[in-house]
Amino acid sequence: MGPLSRETWAQRLGAFRASPSAFMAGPEGEGLGSDLLSDLRSEKLSEHTKVSLLTLTLEFPAQLWPDAPAAEAAASSLLDTLVLLPPRPSALRRPLLLAATTALAAGGALGPTSGASGRLLPLLLGLASGRDLGRGFGPASEQHLLQATACECLRELESCKPGLLGGCLGLLRGLLRHEGPVQPLSLLLALVLRNTLEVQARAGASLQGLLVASNSPTGDGHSPWDWTLAGEGDAHLQAQAPSWPAAEEGGRGLAALEPSPEETRELRAVVAQLLDASYLLTPVAQAQLLWLLGWALRGRRGQPPALFKPQLVRLLGTAQLALLHAVLALKAAFGEAMFTTQDEALLLRRLALAAQHPALPPPAHLFYLHCLLSFPENWPLGPTGEEAAPLLLGPQQCRGLLPSLLHDPLSLLARLHLLCLLSAENEEEEEGQVQSPRRYLEELLGGLRQMSALEGGPRALATLCFQASYLVVRCLAGHPTVLTPLTHGLAQLYQARPALAPHFVDFLDRVGPELGKPLKGMLREQVVSREGGDGALRWHLQMLATVVDRDAQSATLRFLRAAAAHCTDWSLEQALLRVCRALLWAGGGDGLVDFLQELAGQLEDPDGRDHARLYYILLAHLAGPKLGVALGPSLAAPALTSSLVAENQDFATALTVQAALPPLRLSVGPRGAEGPGPVLQLQLEAQEPLYSLELRFRVEGQLYAPLGAVHVPYLCPGRPRLLRLPLQPRRPAPTRLDVRALYTTPAGLTCHAQLPPLPVDFANLFLPFPRPPGGTGPGFFEELWASCLPQGAESRVWCPLGPQGLEALVSRHLEPFVVAAQPPASYSVAIRLPPASRLLLRLEAAQADGVPVALRTDDWAVLPLAGDYLRGLSAAV
Amino acid sequence: MAQRAVWLISHEPGTPLCGIVRFSRRYPTVEKRAKVFNGATYVPIPEDGPFLKALLFKLRLLDGDTDFVESRDGCSRINKTSVYGLPVESEEIWPVVAFLKNGIIYACVPLVEQTLSPCPPLISISGISQGFELLFGLQDFLYSGQKNEAELNTKLNQLPDLLLHSCPFGTLLDANLQNTLDGVNFASVSQPQKQPAWKVGAYKGKPQVSISITEKVKSMQYDKRDIADMWQVVGVVTCKCDLEGVMPNVTISLSLPTNGSPLQDILVHPCVTSLDSAILTSSSIDSMDDSAFSGPYKFPFSPPLESFNLCYYTSQVPVPPILGFYQMKEEEVQLKVTVNLKLHESVKNNFEFCEAHIPFYNRGPITHLEYKVSFGQLEIFREKSLLIWIIGQKFPKSMEINLSGTVTFGAKTHEKQPFDQICIGGTAYVKLHFRILDYTLTGCYADQHSVQVFAPGKPKISTPPLSKVSKLQLWISDGSGHIPSPPPG
Repeated sequence: MGPLSRETWAQRLGAFRASPSAFMAGPEGEGLGSDLLSDLRSEKLSEHTKVSLLTLTLEFPAQLWPDAPAAEAAASSLLDTLVLLPPRPSALRRPLLLAATTALAAGGALGPTSGASGRLLPLLLGLASGRDLGRGFGPASEQHLLQATACECLRELESCKPGLLGGCLGLLRGLLRHEGPVQPLSLLLALVLRNTLEVQARAGASLQGLLVASNSPTGDGHSPWDWTLAGEGDAHLQAQAPSWPAAEEGGRGLAALEPSPEETRELRAVVAQLLDASYLLTPVAQAQLLWLLGWALRGRRGQPPALFKPQLVRLLGTAQLALLHAVLALKAAFGEAMFTTQDEALLLRRLALAAQHPALPPPAHLFYLHCLLSFPENWPLGPTGEEAAPLLLGPQQCRGLLPSLLHDPLSLLARLHLLCLLSAENEEEEEGQVQSPRRYLEELLGGLRQMSALEGGPRALATLCFQASYLVVRCLAGHPTVLTPLTHGLAQLYQARPALAPHFVDFLDRVGPELGKPLKGMLREQVVSREGGDGALRWHLQMLATVVDRDAQSATLRFLRAAAAHCTDWSLEQALLRVCRALLWAGGGDGLVDFLQELAGQLEDPDGRDHARLYYILLAHLAGPKLGVALGPSLAAPALTSSLVAENQDFATALTVQAALPPLRLSVGPRGAEGPGPVLQLQLEAQEPLYSLELRFRVEGQLYAPLGAVHVPYLCPGRPRLLRLPLQPRRPAPTRLDVRALYTTPAGLTCHAQLPPLPVDFANLFLPFPRPPGGTGPGFFEELWASCLPQGAESRVWCPLGPQGLEALVSRHLEPFVVAAQPPASYSVAIRLPPASRLLLRLEAAQADGVPVALRTDDWAVLPLAGDYLRGLSAAV
Repeated sequence: MAQRAVWLISHEPGTPLCGIVRFSRRYPTVEKRAKVFNGATYVPIPEDGPFLKALLFKLRLLDGDTDFVESRDGCSRINKTSVYGLPVESEEIWPVVAFLKNGIIYACVPLVEQTLSPCPPLISISGISQGFELLFGLQDFLYSGQKNEAELNTKLNQLPDLLLHSCPFGTLLDANLQNTLDGVNFASVSQPQKQPAWKVGAYKGKPQVSISITEKVKSMQYDKRDIADMWQVVGVVTCKCDLEGVMPNVTISLSLPTNGSPLQDILVHPCVTSLDSAILTSSSIDSMDDSAFSGPYKFPFSPPLESFNLCYYTSQVPVPPILGFYQMKEEEVQLKVTVNLKLHESVKNNFEFCEAHIPFYNRGPITHLEYKVSFGQLEIFREKSLLIWIIGQKFPKSMEINLSGTVTFGAKTHEKQPFDQICIGGTAYVKLHFRILDYTLTGCYADQHSVQVFAPGKPKISTPPLSKVSKLQLWISDGSGHIPSPPPG
């Protein structure tokens, strides 16, 4: 594709800027980076268009060249373009240098193995030192501009790779002394100095004469840049933070480094050199220089901060935001070593003055006010990091900084904060004063409330009023003299403008009980004393849902009853139900049950009726704590905008069954009392308290009739429970029961757990024969024995005996079924197997290791089971 | 101390987005550092569209945006500076320095060289003040001498190029963009050594120095025993020095007449090389005493090429130039108003203009008016519920004038009539606007002989006519409203 026209490029760049991500995802995105690089060399495009292409690469290299190899290739291409420029004046050299630097630094390609880095660095150093680089570098008229540009590029590379130019300190010093543009060189030198000091200190090395070395950029065997100092990756960048000197403990051991006297002297000379020329820098650059030097010298031995002092008076006189801020940074870095108490007082007064000077713009006022409240004091009293009025700033100095209703919201809040801090401090002093700050504060809040009470007034006013009230409560929470009138005032505000209910709800959520409790009470009284049907019903219901509690339930219900008649649409019904829900949560009450029942029938919307019915059922069936949990806020969904969704989620959490690991153990216990059918004795042990436990059993296959669930109201750990599970086998066969448990945890969650399957053995089905009227005995057994044949089956089984002998075996396993016996020699056993089978055993003539058992049954299918059973008996002992 | 991105957004109510990004610039090398410094708390700079939306929402500049939204209107979402956290796509980008001026929102995001959680205090972030300087610089550049939309567009079109010079990598080199623009056009072959960065090139031509002093007075008068009236003079000294040489030195001294009120709260231009400590400490926030420094106020400096404000000051003159009295009485459907104004005898009775605005807020349109003025004429803006009393160029010999009248208002329609949250019921104000030519209230002056110039040639020194623009507000209240009174002394 040939070069694009100027118009096409303008369109393309416009489309890209509108949404870079969308453009790059589209069909045109792919080729943009390469088209751009190739068109930079096109002769058809004007320089102006090419500059706009380069500006794009300065802003969006990550989109154009997303990985390091692409960035490296782009930087190489940009450098090629630069070299190929004809030696006449061109507006492209500067942006090309900037673009190549940006591509390398932002694309993560900067490094010792990068070819483009290896080309760019010597080029920049050569330009920065003002050497003639030959005809490729344009006319002499551009040299000064390019020299400055090269310094800027080097500064950016050094910012991204701290320590990279550590080896150039001597060179830069020399350049600053003799030639070269003051500002770019000063800033570059200061940055390299700061970084090198940090990097060397971390490595435990000294400046190693770097300050005096005068290496030339031509390279006498070794290059002046040093990738080892710059470190791997971004390690050094991380270590620089935090930027506020005071926030850091002990200067990271910089002080521990003992510099040589010569090094100390040289360092001081460099700093003095930089500061002396600082007047020649623009104000913002002066500020940068001061920050950098402050960082560099902080905590360093032999470097008195007095070096900075000659600059201070000049700086303090200006109104320049950046300069005053830099002075504050020095204050934070050096504290008392640089600023005496008198200096501190002067600085504070200049700040207080700047925070209200009519010649300065409001954003500057606000920033200065912030600086006052975060002022780095020599001897701070309060905890660091919290805003406070500095000790040396008395009420007299703050007089002009107090808030007024005429201020914009930002200024009013900032000044109000100061007023609150002063009021909190000067409580004792002002007793008895008529025009005290406290009284002024009260009037101001009153004014704010009056403003926000205006019908149709903007939302911003109400927001301001509540933010101001919140600020006051936060600062003066322990001062009832402030809180009481505030509470009354806010209650009156609600009376005047119920539409502010959302603000009240939010406010009550944030403030502590010292204000929240009385305010809630007053608001509740206000709402419930109204007729239900005024135009602000929506707001009253919203308010009430926040402020209801156990108190005054009858009045609340009276109001709700009256209101219910006016709840004609869905949203009002929902608002009404939310109040009911809050009442439920607060503990219900007798009247509420009736009211909910009424609502369940009365509300127009089916959703509303359902809700009312649900609440009614919950209230009727759940005890207090569980009700609280069922309705309480869910931890799972803390911040949902829709209360409906939130409510739904709460219910979902509280009422939906959660899957859980079984917190209980279920086992088959010893055989228990007899019944009409086989009963499994279960033993139940819990690891935690469980409520409303329900065990559900399912039989695998169709061998048994479905089993009923077993309910346990409460199960306490350490106290096992025995349960009876009646079985209804359809065939006399062992099986396994699938068991699930459903229970409620102490937290109120309903859980469901799958327990290990429960075996139902053959022996669990054994039932004794009912006693015949004539009693059991050999006759009864013989009768049964004879009746089995011919339909049944007969067999003989060898039943091994353990050391205990036959008697023990019988008494342990077969005792209930013995109908005739001559202990210890012979036993006749008759077993009923539900639903309708019988098993008869004749055990006699026991030998040392076993007993032959003759068995008969009327159900041949039982035989193998019986055989297995008998053979397994001795093992089961 | 670098910026990650900067935006200029015009606020355009009534359009679908309520605003347009007129200019934006991102700094990817700074962004890369932000990613490392901020670590897990890093939030990338959003694209222009989402940023615009989030910012307008935060600054409450979207149309029809009246609902309560917790993230902005919640009582704990307190903003006390022009620095915001903007929720963009479930994350919050902070710190966003932003303010609205003349329909343009100026915004930037400074680099924070540490983690953002916990939020470091603004004072510890060097990029905050640099960001403000950049935005103020942009604002000065766009609005200095700009008259219309076309000129604004021309200047906006120059911005990409200008920032390439004054802020190539996000670190601001010069907030004075006009200076940068001159520098771009000025290419010298041999720049002299020690050329200040804030001065491109040198002046060639006839030497001259001109100095002018402008004062404004702001006064609030309440006519109430428990509220003290307030008035304050704010002055600015503007210089233009056309002098040859790299760094010519100039010293200007400001003097006061005998018994003149001292200058206070002096802020100087950064080109001032040194400052007397008496000037530095003379401040209105301390209680006054007779020993207050009263000049002469010496300012040694090396001037930049352009016209600049050498210093600002305030002063507490003994009396306000005009004393006023305003009374308002509600009688059923009518409002009776009385305004008396008296020019102080020491003040020069020579106005360029003088008019009193009498607005009536939170009421309907004016339907009927009966009035009497002792001097000047009254203009009635019925729909705006506003009266303007045009007093003209001179007060009469008695120095005292008055107006009385009865106003009747129609039914209030919310959209049209002016709303004011303070002027409720019996609370109202009259605002006086006037300009007196060739006069300063403080009497402060810079005479030609006090100007010392150390530069080749003998310069012509001029102190062109001085002027004073003033605003004066008379407040009244029947007690039903809250007067924005000054705090207790």
